[in-house]
Amino acid sequence: MKKIKRILIANRGEIAIRIMRTAKTMGIKCVAVRTAVEPNAMYLSMADIIHDEDEDASEIPVFLDVEKLISIALETKCDAVHPGYGFLAENAYFADRCQVNGIIFIGPSHDAIYKMGNKTVARQIALRHKVPMAMGSPGSIADEEEALVHATRIGYPVIIKAASGGGGRGMRIVRHASEMEKMFTLASREAEKAFNDPSVFIEKYIENPKHIEFQILGDQHGNIIHLGERECSIQRKHQKLLEEAPSPALDTELRQKMGETAVEIARAVSYYSAGTVEFLLDSDKNFYFMEMNTRIQVEHPVTEMITGIDLIEQQILIAMGEKLKIRQEDVRLSGWAIECRINAEDVQAGFAPSPGRIEKISFPDEPGIRVDTGVRAGSSIVASYDSMIAKLIVTGKDRHEAIVNTKKALDKVWIKGTKTTLPFFRMLMRNHLFQEGTFTTAFIEKNLEKYYSHGEYEEMIAAWLATKLFVEENLEDKKTNISFDQGKEITPWLLRKRLTQF
Amino acid sequence: MNAEKPELKKLFALSSEGRKYSFTLPLKNVIRIGKRDYNIELREDEKYGIHVLWKNRRYPVEIVRTKQNRYEILFNDISHIFTVETPFAMQRKKVLGSGKGRSERLVVKAPMPGKIIDVLVRENSQVLRGEALVILEAMKMQNEIQSIVNGTISRIGVKPGQNVMKDDILAEITVK
Repeated sequence: MKKIKRILIANRGEIAIRIMRTAKTMGIKCVAVRTAVEPNAMYLSMADIIHDEDEDASEIPVFLDVEKLISIALETKCDAVHPGYGFLAENAYFADRCQVNGIIFIGPSHDAIYKMGNKTVARQIALRHKVPMAMGSPGSIADEEEALVHATRIGYPVIIKAASGGGGRGMRIVRHASEMEKMFTLASREAEKAFNDPSVFIEKYIENPKHIEFQILGDQHGNIIHLGERECSIQRKHQKLLEEAPSPALDTELRQKMGETAVEIARAVSYYSAGTVEFLLDSDKNFYFMEMNTRIQVEHPVTEMITGIDLIEQQILIAMGEKLKIRQEDVRLSGWAIECRINAEDVQAGFAPSPGRIEKISFPDEPGIRVDTGVRAGSSIVASYDSMIAKLIVTGKDRHEAIVNTKKALDKVWIKGTKTTLPFFRMLMRNHLFQEGTFTTAFIEKNLEKYYSHGEYEEMIAAWLATKLFVEENLEDKKTNISFDQGKEITPWLLRKRLTQF
Repeated sequence: MNAEKPELKKLFALSSEGRKYSFTLPLKNVIRIGKRDYNIELREDEKYGIHVLWKNRRYPVEIVRTKQNRYEILFNDISHIFTVETPFAMQRKKVLGSGKGRSERLVVKAPMPGKIIDVLVRENSQVLRGEALVILEAMKMQNEIQSIVNGTISRIGVKPGQNVMKDDILAEITVK
């Protein structure tokens, strides 16, 4: 067993903070990397040591630069690297390079990353282990003619997916043979662009499924358990917006069956560390293996909240070579947890990114509410990274209570400076399909007319505000009628107007 | 502007979706619902910034853009667009025929740097609020840039494949 004393956090934002929070409680020091894009980022204030990465000349961001990260780790005397999610978290080469340099990669083996990262290899492994899967091509397909042969055998609709894919890119649904040529070319081209690999494969397209994923924990001694499922069907363009644990669609029996299957898949690649096995669940409760994510997930907090297990701590202990102390029968799912991804996006413009500077930000500080964030007042949501502001995780003794609590918590979140996904979640908590729990991955695109809703009199108040502004600008000649805490004798409206005139 | 006219007793706020709200002058800090008046307070402080207090709750407020008598009010994270009109201007609008001749143009700008994947509208095509105009790839996602008003496309500023900077003009819409 090798004790970890210092970790290089090869990531930024909320996940960097999340990792450092646990590392600190374990007495482990953390090194964070300062980049030119975010020199004052919040995650840096949590670090014991900050490495300044000021070489702007570099073509790729430091968090994607394998050799640079290795050299930083060596230079700062780190004995381990945590990749977080995104960036190099599922890069087998990076995991291998860490190992070669005597640095512990806090994650699975590079072999497991490779096998699960390549979807056709993963499919073949799953097939060998008789894991239920949507019918498909045994491997990559060469051209649209081969695609047509498979599609005829499987039956339409089919989906073309990138072999090295993920995140919804390089995917195309084909409903008729006549569309195949066009869709094959599009998918292949997109796959090449996004993943440097044009190879694609074909699967039966499952209509309106639920997205259910299982959290896996495995050690380096062959022990593998699952920590129950997460329901991730609230998605837009394959991007998850809300996750919950457990799923309203599963009963104990189905949970056990799917959980065992997930463990079997992990076992097939001798998986260790935290990982996630994703399934599609159809309306008849048939489930199909989709893919395995070999990293910590954005939505890991909902599992932590209902199991009481710190997944980052487990990852670190496993990386040090410790045996899992939790057995399958020790895992208890208690209560319900919902995570809302509060992103800098404009729901009124179809979730278009709305980057900007966060002027004010505050969250409810109450029992049963957890907030994972990497920004504070003054931080900027920059276009170079994702649009996440915070994850609001709310619990309840059951699903109904969790929804009621989330509704209340959402009204106490205060963010100024950018538009956010808050109006979407406020609407969602009041939506009866969501409350029933019967929604599928098609929910946002098919079941919603509007992505937001507002309180009964909110428009009237906004109309009053517009009128007030008009009156102040045109009729009152800078007369003030509002007094301020600091004794400023100027209305915020006029102040704002003057400031923007500079 | 006919602001100084002594007979100005009322103002109208017209929402971009055609709803009309009228307010009596001098404007009081109340909102009337049914027969009851509810106090409304506009405040600013260090912790919350500009906000409104209404019915014992605090709501965030922001002006996103103003232009002549046009206001975009971000209230509780949702934006509302209004034009504020005097009764005189309303009368004139009616005479001229529902605002024709003084139609407003809305410039749709790129919210961030990125690449145009697709342009979904043509010049002179009619668009509805919420309709997608272009697909902009940025921040790891393909984003639909939608119209926030009903209107007619008067100009398109980009082509598929083109890289854009933040605030580059994507399209111009003549607001209906």
